Amino acid sequence: MNRALYAKRRFINGIFLSLSVAAAGFGIVWLALILYSLVTQGMAGMSLKVFTEITPAQGSEGGLANAIVGSVIMSTLAVVVGTPIGIFGGTYLAEYARHSRTAVVVRFINDILLSAPSILIGLFIYQLLIMRLGFFPNLPRNFSALAGAAALMVIVIPVVVRTTENMLLLVPNTLREAAAALGTPRSHVIRTVTWRAARAGILTGVLLAVARISGETAPLLFTAFGNNFWSTDLNAPMASLPQVIFNFAMSPDDGLNRLAWAGALIITFAVLTLSILARVFESQREL
Amino acid sequence: MNSMPIDTKVRIDIRKLSFYYGANKALKGVSLPLYDRKVTAFIGPSGCGKSTLLRVMNRIYELYPNQRAEGQVLLDGEDILTSKQDLNLLRARIGMVFQKPTPFPMTIYDNIAYGIKLYERMRKSELDDRVEDALQRAALWNEVKDKLKESGLSLSGGQQQRLCIARTVATKPEVILLDEPCSALDPISTAKIEELIDELANEYTIVIVTHNMQQASRVSDYTAFMFLGELIEFGTTERLFTAPQNKRTEEYITGRFG
Repeated sequence: MNRALYAKRRFINGIFLSLSVAAAGFGIVWLALILYSLVTQGMAGMSLKVFTEITPAQGSEGGLANAIVGSVIMSTLAVVVGTPIGIFGGTYLAEYARHSRTAVVVRFINDILLSAPSILIGLFIYQLLIMRLGFFPNLPRNFSALAGAAALMVIVIPVVVRTTENMLLLVPNTLREAAAALGTPRSHVIRTVTWRAARAGILTGVLLAVARISGETAPLLFTAFGNNFWSTDLNAPMASLPQVIFNFAMSPDDGLNRLAWAGALIITFAVLTLSILARVFESQREL
Repeated sequence: MNSMPIDTKVRIDIRKLSFYYGANKALKGVSLPLYDRKVTAFIGPSGCGKSTLLRVMNRIYELYPNQRAEGQVLLDGEDILTSKQDLNLLRARIGMVFQKPTPFPMTIYDNIAYGIKLYERMRKSELDDRVEDALQRAALWNEVKDKLKESGLSLSGGQQQRLCIARTVATKPEVILLDEPCSALDPISTAKIEELIDELANEYTIVIVTHNMQQASRVSDYTAFMFLGELIEFGTTERLFTAPQNKRTEEYITGRFG
């Protein structure tokens, strides 16, 4: 054994280890600082009123109830409609079209959509649903919760398509062969065996999509717009947490700033809960 | 090829079968009969085409692009390679057990009931009987009767493979294809499965691909020796192992190559 060579290897290993630790530490420090300021500032603005009262005008007191409810309504709609589309799309790519040229094209476009700036998606929905591409100029053109949900849905779909496809690709072909060898029709194999084998992963993908849209502001700016009053009308403008945070954080009013922090804390907490849930499902892959 | 006593009827008649993986020809005009309610073993070194031949008989290869078969495979006189043949019905008649155990991600009970429910409607009590019967035949019932509601994935490798055999038997196929069913198993599980094959041969036409020549000689009535995509020799297992007529067959079964 060449001792000098080994000593050199150990030395290089030490450098690598220190660089990795330093990089990890650098990331964690910022994350910790962000969480620290979020929790301290957010808790300062937190009270029961946050959940019971609607957004106040400048200088008066209030809460975030309408924004919380708006976020829940629009996110739920986006996920309820977007999830089946995403799952079927991912299933098409993984199960039916895996080796075809169509799949290559669809996958490529889906990846573009996945990383598209969300403000573009907001503008697209604005043009499509609110301006109606210039058609029916006499009908009213107003912002609406439906348009907001549609924009969020456009973000949900590619995430779910991607994770569904990836999770289905992890299902071994031997399982598909075994099911097919019993004389099982293709769609039955998918519904009863491959989806089942991949369901924890697919569910994780849906939860990740929820986490992703719950913090999106840009797609809602030109679609749901925001609403300082209590409204659950899908055809009317609707408030949402990210949009309220955006508005209140830029206000000179201290009270509104505190509410913005509280809203940020609520979103973070909700996303954290979802991520933990996703991890729990992920760990329960078997049956 | 020698003439041999034909004491039973031919169930599957393979005629001039060639198979292609893309441009690669994996089977080169293979012809042989598979006799009714007999066990036929395919032996030969890796890559000789024995698994490929098995996978043609239920056309499972069609799950993948660029794989195609030429020639004829007659099941009771009907060519199953024509486009008229319904794939699902074919596979319901010709069952297959794979090299690695492939339990479905569901309970032990549901694993067995799955195939039955595909083509038959019956009362719950009758289904319970069918599940028990299949597990009995696969010599697994005593080990799992108290945990039918547990995951099929919770079983050991040998038990999982018997579960897969039970699943195949439960659908009452006419032919059972076994693709190296013991290669992932320990000797005790292997012995159990070999006993099972013996039992099943009373009712089913069985084809087994195996790397293990002792296994072929123990479980089969007929043996086909394949090499580089060609059928080198076919005959009764007793004759092929005691008096091989081809030099390659002799070299292979005596362990001089392969």
